[in-house]
Amino acid sequence: MSLERQELEDLKSKIGRDPTSTEVQIVAAEWSEHCSYKSSKKHLKMLPMTGPSVIFEKGYDSGVLDVGDGYVVTAHIESHNHPSAVEPYGGAATGVGGVIRDILSTGTRPIAIFNGLRFGNIEKDPQARWLFKNAVTGIADYGNCLGIPTIGGEVEFDECYSNYALVDVAAIGFGKKENLIKNHANKGDLVVLMGGSTGRDGIGGSQFASDSLETEDRSAVQIPDPFIEKLIIEAIMEARNLHLINAVKDLGGGGLSCAVSETADTMGIGIELDVDKVHTREPGMHPDEIMVSESQERMLIIIDKQKLKKLQDICKKFRVICSVIGHVTSGNLVHVKKGKKTFAKISAEIIANAQLLDRHSKKPAYLKSIQKEKKLDSITNYSKIMITLLSSPNIASKSWVYGQYDHEVGIRTVVKPGQDASVLRLDNGKFLSAKIDGNPKQCYINPREGAIGCFEEACRNVVCTGARPIGMLDHLQFGNPQDPEIFWTFLESLKGITDFAKFFQIPCIGGKVSLYNETSLGPIKPTPIIGVLGLIDNTPLIPKKINNSDCLVIIGNTKDELGGSEFYEYIHRFVGGNCPKVDFKESKRNMNSVLDIIKKGLIKVAHDCSKGGLAVAVSEICMTNKIGCKISLENVPGENLPPDRVLFSESHSRYLLVLDKKNLKPLENLLQKNKVSYNTIGRFEGNRIQFNVRKKSLIDLSVDKALKVWMNSLENLIIHG
Amino acid sequence: MTLFTISVTIENKPGISDPEGETILNDLVLKGTYKTVSKIKTAKMLKFAIKEKDKTTAETKIRKICDDLRIYNPMVSKITINVI
Repeated sequence: MSLERQELEDLKSKIGRDPTSTEVQIVAAEWSEHCSYKSSKKHLKMLPMTGPSVIFEKGYDSGVLDVGDGYVVTAHIESHNHPSAVEPYGGAATGVGGVIRDILSTGTRPIAIFNGLRFGNIEKDPQARWLFKNAVTGIADYGNCLGIPTIGGEVEFDECYSNYALVDVAAIGFGKKENLIKNHANKGDLVVLMGGSTGRDGIGGSQFASDSLETEDRSAVQIPDPFIEKLIIEAIMEARNLHLINAVKDLGGGGLSCAVSETADTMGIGIELDVDKVHTREPGMHPDEIMVSESQERMLIIIDKQKLKKLQDICKKFRVICSVIGHVTSGNLVHVKKGKKTFAKISAEIIANAQLLDRHSKKPAYLKSIQKEKKLDSITNYSKIMITLLSSPNIASKSWVYGQYDHEVGIRTVVKPGQDASVLRLDNGKFLSAKIDGNPKQCYINPREGAIGCFEEACRNVVCTGARPIGMLDHLQFGNPQDPEIFWTFLESLKGITDFAKFFQIPCIGGKVSLYNETSLGPIKPTPIIGVLGLIDNTPLIPKKINNSDCLVIIGNTKDELGGSEFYEYIHRFVGGNCPKVDFKESKRNMNSVLDIIKKGLIKVAHDCSKGGLAVAVSEICMTNKIGCKISLENVPGENLPPDRVLFSESHSRYLLVLDKKNLKPLENLLQKNKVSYNTIGRFEGNRIQFNVRKKSLIDLSVDKALKVWMNSLENLIIHG
Repeated sequence: MTLFTISVTIENKPGISDPEGETILNDLVLKGTYKTVSKIKTAKMLKFAIKEKDKTTAETKIRKICDDLRIYNPMVSKITINVI
């Protein structure tokens, strides 16, 4: 690991001497893009991060939201892209482990895991299949061993991730407000390292994540051990209950270096530690290696001297190793010793605060022409196209993925994966709904509108369960920020997300930036991922059985917005066109109306229109409920468009509602009062999915056939290649 | 052509942790009376039966199969090939 020349000069002038090799290693880990956010930090400040329910404490690794009655929900998102691209099983699993420990560091118990996965073209590329299959197994094995349900996520495939993987993991925690750990430290407190032993695995991981894969030496792999993680969770929970912990931090990217220097910096203390006291896996490790090792399943705890015995007893009971590696000093020096010899002595403030950069940004040239529409081949057989779309890996059911995850352990999962958003029962009688969404295809065509679209889609998904969005997590994944065109797309996405968050007053409670995501084909498409948490005060909308003659109502306008759609990209192999745009006011009206409708108990099912447009959204309702539906496309509100556009446009702010005929009148009254654009477009009956335009049949498919294709195509692809 | 039996042992590279081996050591072996054991490493072994003209060709072919078909991940594991 090394510093750039300029950074080394900077460090020298700050400390007034040549740094030792250990100091260089510590600083290089902390000043890497991954840990310091040096390219992005200046700009991230624009996000709204406060709100009536946001609780902030210094040094927290995850966001905290007050959900009433003395309870809090915590949430965090992380990625493990670079490690997963070379070792998908271990990379994805250790990603889960890292984000779980971030939840733990606030003193809350992790109750749910989400993951967003992106790979290359799995239809053509065996490497992409290998990455996909192993990343899913890694997440399943780790989460299932921990007894924490993996309750949702998303999977997407795009050529831009060839020979690469985006593995995003989010976790949710829950606990009593009074049990939150309020990080503090006093001079003389002990610094304890708890958990797995420190080895040579994962050395240089944080800097590895800040280089593009083309230049790395691919040595930074970590081995997951979920059983130690489980013991750590229980040990920390017990220590928390006995009020033993003054402060706690997870060891993630940058290992001990970052954990120690960030803790010292945020709490305004000094830390003196002896690397000889660190329990290592192998003998003869150099202090530099110990300081930057990214061995998994480790936590740093600051504890009062008097309470050490109790903590040691807990660790003994759970058979977790804990070592006292140092103590808190006055001042703010990070002092690393080996026995009596000093290897590093440097101000925590200098280590933890890298020089923030002003990156140049420039609008990418490709954007000039990308929104131009192309004359496409006309479609003769819509039913056939529909079957092709339902079998496309991006649209096909992801049951092969979530079927491997234990999504019910902990018995909180009220609405299970496979719906718009999963719902968890909380101890105070309320419910929490959560979803993560991304859409790189749209973000590539329009980074701003695409990012807003992801945000709105995640909101729509939680709204469909009856939840009011209360907080969001953002994960911004882009290529090399030194390229001004890439940096421009980052800024545009961030501005879009900020505008939407401000308009809807949804605070950003946490996030991550992952840059340098490059493959041999070049940078990945801009891939911001948005996670939204929603709260349900009374009862969630649990989908009910649909009967013959139930009505299908659509809310929201369908516009000529096929840019980045599955229809353009999968059927026509065309990248470009009009990116869907969110009209904030319309979005808010629709969202509030749907929440109102659910509260009044008027509907059986709510489903949002997203990938594949109206045609796929209606089919999904039919297939999951095994009932046919007759839809009249001429009744779909919005611009007057040719049928392919009405069917497959991916316009936002649209919801499909299924209701009993008798509730139609009160529903219409409510929607008219709210000035919402809507119409009744179909009726459920029989066992065929039928889309008609003025009585003329356009699509006519049996539900069974569609279901078979939709349910099985992803699994077939994995098993039979 | 001769029939060769070839074993391929796949194990984590040195320095990479092996939670399964450590668990067997700490929670099984050292809990009993076998205090002289200091390390256990887990591995997976595949036995191939292959018809080739000679031993070297057989071994080379097996190594190629393991590499091409991703029978192990060279980032994490190493393989040892033995002709029995």
